[in-house]
Amino acid sequence: MLWSAAAIAFMAGAGSGIAAEGDPAAGKGKKTMCAGCHGIAGYKTAFPEVYSVPKLGGQHAAYIVKALQAYKSGERHHPTMRAIAAGLTDQDMADLAAYYATDTPRTANK
Amino acid sequence: MKKYLWLLACVAVWGSSAAVAGDPVAGKAKSKPCAACHGPDGNSPAPDFPKLAGQPYDYLVTALRHYKSGDRKNAIMAPQAANLSRRDMEDLAAFYSQQSGLKVKY
Repeated sequence: MLWSAAAIAFMAGAGSGIAAEGDPAAGKGKKTMCAGCHGIAGYKTAFPEVYSVPKLGGQHAAYIVKALQAYKSGERHHPTMRAIAAGLTDQDMADLAAYYATDTPRTANK
Repeated sequence: MKKYLWLLACVAVWGSSAAVAGDPVAGKAKSKPCAACHGPDGNSPAPDFPKLAGQPYDYLVTALRHYKSGDRKNAIMAPQAANLSRRDMEDLAAFYSQQSGLKVKY
């Protein structure tokens, strides 16, 4: 039983194409800085332009990792996101992506 | 009473158009090229391409504007956004923001 669970977990990891294996439970513990903006319905970023922050609940994990890496490298340059992504390791990004990609009952509507 | 209802209807229409300038029906018609990667309703089936369904209207308009201006760089999105007018961006954003998919997750 444990063996087959491990095999499934391994295959899921191999198929996802994400370098680091994301753990949604670990991501939940790392989301403090994200929740202040992305956890509030209708929240808008104010600098350098005013517009609504994107919803993350249910987004593809691979895309979230790609976006965070682009912020860290400077390819995407929203100042707040650059500062936050600069402090994230590949493992942090994978964990956060796994957390947000999983749609749970905690998800607020809208 | 009838007069009052008319007034209410006018206020409702004015209120909704102030929030979202785009036309979701026109946006759906213009979304055909987007569907190849982002899915017919913005729920992209491919993990590398972001889901757009339910994303806030003004986030989508801003993202498209940034792709067109070069502020946000992407080899696939740059040529797509280059051909879009402001009106096209608003219509597409109106369409995708009204589809159900993404949620605010706390």
